[in-house]
Amino acid sequence: MSKRILHHPEVPAGETTVAWRSVGQLEDTADFRQWLDREFPQGAAEMANEEDAETSRRSFLKLMGASTALAGFGMAACRRPESYIVPYTKAPEWVIPGKATYYASAMPRAHGATPLVVTTFEGRPTKLAPNHLHPDSEGTDAFAQASVLDLYSPSRSRKILKGGNAAARADFEAALATIATDKSAKVGFLFGADDSPTRARLTQELATKFSSAKFYQYEALTGESSAVALGEGVKLVANFAKADRIVSLDCDFAGTDSQGPVTAFFDRRKPEGKSYEGKPDASKMNRLYSVEAAFTLTGGMADHRLRVSPSQVTAVAAQIARGLGVKAGVAIVSPELSDPKHVAWVNGLVDDLKANAGKSLVLAGSRQSLALHLLAHAINQSLGNIGEGKPLLAVQTGTKGLGNLAALKNDIDAKAVDTLIVLTPSNPLYDAPADLKFGESYAKLKTSIHFGTRTDATAHASTWHLPAAHYLESWSDARSASGTYTVVQPMILPLYKDCVSELELLLALLSNDGKLLNGEGEKGAASPAYTAVRATFSTLGGAGDTAWKKLLRDGFLAGSSYPIANPKLRGDLSAPIVATPPTKDSLEVIFATDSSIFDGRWIDNGWLQEAPDPISKLTWDNVALVAPSTAKELGIYDQIIQLETDFASRSPDDEAQNRTSPMIRLAVNGQTLEIPILVSFGQAENTIVIPLGYGQGFDKHDELKRGPKNESHVGLVGVNRGFNAYPLRTAATAYFATGAKVAPTTLRYSVALTQEHNAMYGRALAREVSTLGDEEKGSFAAQLANVPKQGNDSHAPPTVSLYQPKDRAGKPLLSDPLHQWGMSIDLSSCMGCNSCLVACQSENNIPIVGKRQVAMGREMHWIRMDRYFAAQKDNTFDEGNPEMVPQPVACVQCESAPCETVCPVNATIHTEDGLNAMAYNRCIGTRYCANNCPYKARRFNYFDYNKRNPLIAHNLYKGPFGEKQVGEAPHLQKNPNVTVRMRGVMEKCTYCVQRLKDSVIRQKQGQKQEALVAGKASTEMQVNVNTLRIPVDSVKTACQDACPAGAITFGNLLDEEKSALGRSKRIDRNYDLLNYIGTRPRTSYLARVKNPNPAMPDAKFVGKATIHMA
Amino acid sequence: MANIFPRWSNLLPLKIAVCAGATAAGVALAFAYYATPKAQVVGYQPAQPIPFSHKIHVDQVGLDCRYCHSFVDVTGHSNVPTGSTCWNCHQHVQRDSPKLAPLHKSMDVTYPGYDGKPIEWVRVHKAPDYVYFNHSAHVNRGISCQSCHGNVNKMEVIYQAESHSMGWCLDCHRAPEKNLRPLEEVYNFAYNAETFISNNPQLGVKTTEELGLKLKEQFMVNPKATCATCHR
Repeated sequence: MSKRILHHPEVPAGETTVAWRSVGQLEDTADFRQWLDREFPQGAAEMANEEDAETSRRSFLKLMGASTALAGFGMAACRRPESYIVPYTKAPEWVIPGKATYYASAMPRAHGATPLVVTTFEGRPTKLAPNHLHPDSEGTDAFAQASVLDLYSPSRSRKILKGGNAAARADFEAALATIATDKSAKVGFLFGADDSPTRARLTQELATKFSSAKFYQYEALTGESSAVALGEGVKLVANFAKADRIVSLDCDFAGTDSQGPVTAFFDRRKPEGKSYEGKPDASKMNRLYSVEAAFTLTGGMADHRLRVSPSQVTAVAAQIARGLGVKAGVAIVSPELSDPKHVAWVNGLVDDLKANAGKSLVLAGSRQSLALHLLAHAINQSLGNIGEGKPLLAVQTGTKGLGNLAALKNDIDAKAVDTLIVLTPSNPLYDAPADLKFGESYAKLKTSIHFGTRTDATAHASTWHLPAAHYLESWSDARSASGTYTVVQPMILPLYKDCVSELELLLALLSNDGKLLNGEGEKGAASPAYTAVRATFSTLGGAGDTAWKKLLRDGFLAGSSYPIANPKLRGDLSAPIVATPPTKDSLEVIFATDSSIFDGRWIDNGWLQEAPDPISKLTWDNVALVAPSTAKELGIYDQIIQLETDFASRSPDDEAQNRTSPMIRLAVNGQTLEIPILVSFGQAENTIVIPLGYGQGFDKHDELKRGPKNESHVGLVGVNRGFNAYPLRTAATAYFATGAKVAPTTLRYSVALTQEHNAMYGRALAREVSTLGDEEKGSFAAQLANVPKQGNDSHAPPTVSLYQPKDRAGKPLLSDPLHQWGMSIDLSSCMGCNSCLVACQSENNIPIVGKRQVAMGREMHWIRMDRYFAAQKDNTFDEGNPEMVPQPVACVQCESAPCETVCPVNATIHTEDGLNAMAYNRCIGTRYCANNCPYKARRFNYFDYNKRNPLIAHNLYKGPFGEKQVGEAPHLQKNPNVTVRMRGVMEKCTYCVQRLKDSVIRQKQGQKQEALVAGKASTEMQVNVNTLRIPVDSVKTACQDACPAGAITFGNLLDEEKSALGRSKRIDRNYDLLNYIGTRPRTSYLARVKNPNPAMPDAKFVGKATIHMA
Repeated sequence: MANIFPRWSNLLPLKIAVCAGATAAGVALAFAYYATPKAQVVGYQPAQPIPFSHKIHVDQVGLDCRYCHSFVDVTGHSNVPTGSTCWNCHQHVQRDSPKLAPLHKSMDVTYPGYDGKPIEWVRVHKAPDYVYFNHSAHVNRGISCQSCHGNVNKMEVIYQAESHSMGWCLDCHRAPEKNLRPLEEVYNFAYNAETFISNNPQLGVKTTEELGLKLKEQFMVNPKATCATCHR
């Protein structure tokens, strides 16, 4: 019997949307067909005919019989091994074995600290979640979520190095004491761009102590234009709650270029309000205009997106300024836009801005040119958008009086600095602009001390390298985006005894004898950093214990924020506006911030490396991206697609692990780089995007034989990864460079792309509506009402289940009267940022599998972040600008789950409260369930990824001889309440069942408490549903908690309208994925709403991206 | 007359004897290895570093379970007491008993062999790693320690009294009324359902089973029997 394939209905005639996941699908390659047809590329062999099936079943039974018989001979399971219970001798306060303790802390970052709540088990931090009490709370992005893994990273720096070799601590301490005791030392300090009040205070003290000390600030991808335009230490913080119209000028404010807490922006993408409390109202939504070259997360959310190269963004801004009649402050020297379509687009935008003066927001990308920043600032000022209670607030930060990297270089060359202490999280010897030749000056230093968590290029070039304590191991403080004083608490002592925190190092220099005290400091005492932070806090929040304890509990000091600044627009600056559009022979290169590893600092973080890039869906590497039309012009499009040969029975790339992409030679700024190339949709023509941060070290296993080179700069995760584009970058072209030339090469490089993996069939997978009515689709209200009928949901007959939802005794299967769990995912606010994906990985002990396994489609992420492109066939405005629609898909917990009926061992069954549970210890790995899952939400452990390190070459294939990683530091991160799965086991999302069980059990404990309070005998006590049902919206899944956009709502369906979930299920936008096959999923989706401006030339092509996959 | 037994059979008795001997030795060894309490599930009774007697502490001294297992009603794990819990009393009581040497080693700074390291108790009750048993969910809902751990108050040396197999768990999850008690009686090893019924006539129940069913209904005890209850 051959496999029955459900044929999904045809896409209806007259459908104008064309949707695709990858260029392969757009071209309908055989490779893509394979991904779509099979759950697993080639591994799960289907039986071709009846004969095959019989033989297989017989041999299966034979083998199973034999192995069962043999199992009896084993001795291992007969006698239990002796194990021990080791209690504390003296119990630490607050530690209850088996119970998580939560602490407020924060992750210091350049754009403002991310306030966090850290989950610890017996002193081990395992999971980070946003601190929702904090006024600047904005969820957590993937970087913040993954930062807990850095603490346990096996490649983390743990020894003091001298000239790249291990050195004794005493020697370093002696060197440090020499500096500390020399008050005339020409010492320089290079800080990161984060703002710490205690560090600022210590900096003052250092300046007093060392008369010729100098202070600098550097982070590779933090632009300087804004500070130049506004004045030193002044920054603009966006308040998205107040912004009705937002114009992003090449500013990825929702992604890697934060401009202020972004959650409020997403709240206003929901027409019913933040937690679905109102009627849908288009006027409550904001509207986002985006001008950018290549898709960013922000651009994907835009209602109107104009794609132009970065050099042209300034011309567009100038046109907007002209349209608004902005004169003050900036000399606009730019020709009128030549393209009439662009002019019409800008005119529509200008009118909308005029109508919303004081309620709009124009944001310039922080790495963009000074001219653009001056223009954006002038526009905001003329619209009255800046000030208290306005969408933008100018504030004075604490990072004043710090020179930049160029100033540092000059000072080194002029011998004003001969000792440098490098504290920046960036890696200046690797990521500084190439023309600065910073390395040459760095070598002239008498003493350089590098402080960092990685032994990177700077660590090796320095005299000394001092391993840094992770922020979860240090006392510190920080300012969040709007300047709220936020405490950084340690969760654990430094794992390695030589790891020192930044404040401890500065304090050692401030002490008279230069003695370095870290961790607990002197025996029994707290770290000196603790004393310093407390001293800083006492000047802000008062001295007593009460205020301090409140700070530790809440994580922040209420009411503290940056003082408001009144920046004058500097009229003396008339920046030249370059406006020669790029051509095929003179391309524009964009040095993009990487959404996996940022500027390269997270190259050794496996979770981030394996999280697919939100746009390109590439893992483990960086590639150059070009628009399809540019690829065609350059003559490499066909090579990228490379259709399968007709006579090959199997794909030439086998199970896809050999899929390669052609390489090009790119020449710009007098440098060349060979890099693989891929097609990216929605990108401006004649631009090339190259993410930065890769190519830091190679060993002998490198595919292109680049190693061994700088092997010791990276760990197993970061070695042989990608291509280093920093050498192409100069100070003047730090963000983009013009005049690049591309030549094809004969080389190819393997790429691990996940965009085609687990591809789903089906009609109306992601649905979209527009607030703008048209003749065909009707008004906004009509479109909303039509959401549940999109696809063929209006006319498909209801699927009748043959199974009774009752057990033999007649009891309903979903019998729990207290809790019935459900989830909704709002596509209107989901931007596809991977935060949930990494949060899930951290909560549920999901392993990484390595590049080769990812290429074979074996990534283990329970949440698959689908990213679709959708174009309108009749789009006359810009046919190369499709909409980008992200859709996270995890197990949707079907009430009639197809996976459950096919499991031969009942390893996946339904619980009374509506979960589709997985009993890992029962699973025998037949994979029938995954083959039967229409959502392709199940993942299979092909290898023991948790036990055997998948990153060591060929390790997985050595079976029992492979190298184990049990007992290494990363295992300390594991969540003790979730099984660590072994090889041969199927796994998937279970709505964080460990959190649900925990909250339900805690609620049950309440019964006892009530009895005690009432003073009555328990036999007289009344227990009702309210005693045992958890409070409304009191439990959050890991993905929901992490989401910066509030796109995921989870709760108890029995709470009905009282819960956000209940409300979300009752609105028109709610629909079930693949409703017509009758699986009755518990996770539903809310259709995406676009809010176009009717006056825009592209308005009628917006909001129609309903995705059909056939 | 030809030999009935061929020549090779001369050695047969010897061979049989050797085989029988080997089998007997094997059986004896296997019995010694598998049939002693060490290898049992029920009855597993390993030697502990300190021969701690629950009988003395519970029956004679009258300690409540929660004096030592202090977090049993707030967390999933029932903790084993910290060294300082023992030392609280034993720095005064039975201080010089040689049995307490490991405690002195771990707690008594004046003791010659003091190292401050915790005592390593041998684990008796062990659920497999994939079982997430939660003590607090049971003791707060009327399931006594006694139901799973047996008459600990009578044990000189602790041993496992029940099989703790999945079937055993499910027996109770399907019919909790057999084990339910009023919340006040959960830690009471002297509890007797019949005495309780006769002392509380106002409850209107006559048999132990009726009491169990009444408590089940009143506490809304509805134990789940699907996988995710214990496996996740």
